[in-house]
Amino acid sequence: MKEKKLTSTHYERELREVKKSLIYLGALAEKAIQDATTSLLERNSDLAHEVIAGDDQINKLDVEIEEKCIRLLALRQPAARDLRFITTAIKINGHLERIGDMAVNIAKRALILNEEPQLKPYIDLPRMADITRGMIRESLDALINEDCDLANKVRRDDEMVDNLNEQIFRELLTFMIEDPRTIHRAILITQISKNLERVSDHAESIADMVIYMVTGKSVRHQFRGEKHEK
Amino acid sequence: MQYAPTKGIKAHMKSRLFYKIFGTYLVIIVLSMAIIGFLVGKEVKNKLMGKIEYDLITYARMINLTSPKKEIEKNVVQLARISNARITLIDTAGKVLADSEKDVSRMDNHLNRPEIQEAKVLDKGTATRFSHTLGVDMFYVALPVKSDSRAIGYIRLARPLVEIKNSVRKLYGLIFQSFVIILVLSFLIAFIFFSRLTSPIQEMEQFTKRLREGEDPGTLMIDSSDEMGRLARNINYMVMELQERVRSANEEKGKLEAAFASMTDGVLVLDSQDKIEASNEAFKDIFGVKYRDIIGKTPVEAFRNIELQNALDRFKETGMPVSQEVVLEDGEQIILDINVSSIHGLPNGEEKTMVVFHDFTRLKKLEKMRVDFVANITHEIKTPLTAILGFIETLQEGAIEEKETARKFLETIYRHAGRLNRLVEDLLTISDIELGEMKFFFESVSLSGVVENVLPVIESKAVEKGLVIDKNIPEELSPVRADRDRLAQILLNVLDNAVKFTPESGKVSITAFDDKKGYVIVSISDTGVGIPEDEIPRLGERFYRVDKTRSRELGGTGLGLSIVKHLMIAHKGRIEIESRLGRGTTVFLSFPVFEGAVNI
Repeated sequence: MKEKKLTSTHYERELREVKKSLIYLGALAEKAIQDATTSLLERNSDLAHEVIAGDDQINKLDVEIEEKCIRLLALRQPAARDLRFITTAIKINGHLERIGDMAVNIAKRALILNEEPQLKPYIDLPRMADITRGMIRESLDALINEDCDLANKVRRDDEMVDNLNEQIFRELLTFMIEDPRTIHRAILITQISKNLERVSDHAESIADMVIYMVTGKSVRHQFRGEKHEK
Repeated sequence: MQYAPTKGIKAHMKSRLFYKIFGTYLVIIVLSMAIIGFLVGKEVKNKLMGKIEYDLITYARMINLTSPKKEIEKNVVQLARISNARITLIDTAGKVLADSEKDVSRMDNHLNRPEIQEAKVLDKGTATRFSHTLGVDMFYVALPVKSDSRAIGYIRLARPLVEIKNSVRKLYGLIFQSFVIILVLSFLIAFIFFSRLTSPIQEMEQFTKRLREGEDPGTLMIDSSDEMGRLARNINYMVMELQERVRSANEEKGKLEAAFASMTDGVLVLDSQDKIEASNEAFKDIFGVKYRDIIGKTPVEAFRNIELQNALDRFKETGMPVSQEVVLEDGEQIILDINVSSIHGLPNGEEKTMVVFHDFTRLKKLEKMRVDFVANITHEIKTPLTAILGFIETLQEGAIEEKETARKFLETIYRHAGRLNRLVEDLLTISDIELGEMKFFFESVSLSGVVENVLPVIESKAVEKGLVIDKNIPEELSPVRADRDRLAQILLNVLDNAVKFTPESGKVSITAFDDKKGYVIVSISDTGVGIPEDEIPRLGERFYRVDKTRSRELGGTGLGLSIVKHLMIAHKGRIEIESRLGRGTTVFLSFPVFEGAVNI
């Protein structure tokens, strides 16, 4: 009896550890995106270098979390809620790692852009960066609070980012048509915008996962039904 | 002695304690009655038996002495009546010769009866047995009938034992009666005793119940010197002691809580599982509503801040207090100095962590402002100085020979030197105000007069740009409480700005009205370039320029509005700015009405 309690608390601690690491990773990814966009908007190349260097930590943590999750699955055979949480965690983990990579992409392009004169004042890009960052934050908030409403808001926000991305592209297109010398810079900026758009997609996926995790009941019933038929 | 009024007999009947007491009584009574009944019954029976035996023997002897065998045989019925016994005469062979109650011929041989056998041997025989002849329990006494000391027969006297039985039964009846009486009495006694015993107990029960439920229990009023009284006194003492301890513990806790709550630094307490357990008021002040639902979460969940988490992790690893600067950037930037340390001396050896947040955002901002100020002022001074030095150098290198160029250069130098001079003057003004060294002479000032004095200075510039200045100051306006010269300076600065930032053929208007709340409001509006809305709050900052290059072109020092702001504060007035980009700006200046004016 005593031993059982001991192991279960140990197990709980491991679960907590996973959750903590995941949120920490989320904070890192969010900060990476923020710093990457700031490095572009404020033409701060040092910050861009920091973002590129910081990706190592994100990658390391990604591997670490995955290992922890697999260990938990293999050794503890979690059920129901915990199982859903761990599978969700593995997926969210992947998304966050990809967001880190996007941040590196943005930072690399910012480094090149910072060497050249600014093409135009950035108006839509900061808005897009703000929304995207908010989406990462809110998707993680939804994860922590198991808040489906917030997760749904994140999913709605994705559309705004998509629209902004298109708007930026159209605007830059006119620049490129008018003056071919701007093409290089304009393409870099469209790539950054595209990267942000993909970050928002990842945030949306995280929100999807949260909804699955919270309202996973029906899915579980289906699963049980199939098993029953066999 | 107090009886609980709501507790009646019924309640007592229900009480188990009552049955215990009464049951004990019952057992004692039954036992004693049984013992008494048994012993007394036995004694009475013995006594009666002894008496019957003595009676019968006496009668038998008397009959033996007085009457010969024949007489007895003849008078057996009379003798039996006198002696109140059955008399039987038996010969030595056992044959019944006469019987007072039965027909002799139908009686069998009596020789083998125990009393006859006994009498044969011992001269006297007794026996108690069931008489088949009469069908009842009988007591028999037999004596030998002697003639010349030789037994010629036996005389037997017998009495039924019913008498004894009746006596004993009567006795038992008496005992039972007294048993019932004692039972009723003991019930009453038990009832009274129970009441006396339980009313204080019930009172104590109520008392402890009140205590348990956290009400004020009052004092136990049991006026008795027995164990109950002593118990009550002990309980009273105990409760008093307990309340005193609870009170002092609460007081102590209150002190700690008050200290915790009134700390200016935010405090978070983390439990042994690193979950946020408590936060104080200052914490809520620093973080606002955004971090409301943090109790029960881990810090990384609540703040999502890497630096904070790193500090906590470092503390966990080393066990040493960690202090670190943390920047929370979620909408508004909060710069914090955090201290992570463990809480010692908790009961059960629990390990808790305390995080203290010192908010020095304002300090940081001030520091930044100071740095900015130095950078700005250096820049402001450097620009004209560079120009002056450049032109002087060119002049030295020979340009001075070309009269026309030299004159132009000197003009430029003069202009830049003038700007430097204005800058220094403005700075002196500001520092004077800030240091409180500027002397104000507040008096009743008529606004229209001051405006009349100021307008000519501005008008020349306005006419140059083809601006129309529209003045509408009612003559009957209440005088304001102001320093005449400073008021002029304020109006001049604001009007100067209005003229400066209004494109050609625009309009600048100055109006004034009394708001009837103790203020005269001067509004100066232009049809100029306007100011972006989000920059309005920053206008009073030193060297803050909305459009940097343009303002400098126009010869501003970047200190004009800053001076106005400071002067308005000194006047206990207010400045408000409304603006729309491209449409123009309106500056509202409110001056307090001169209150002494009414009395003059």
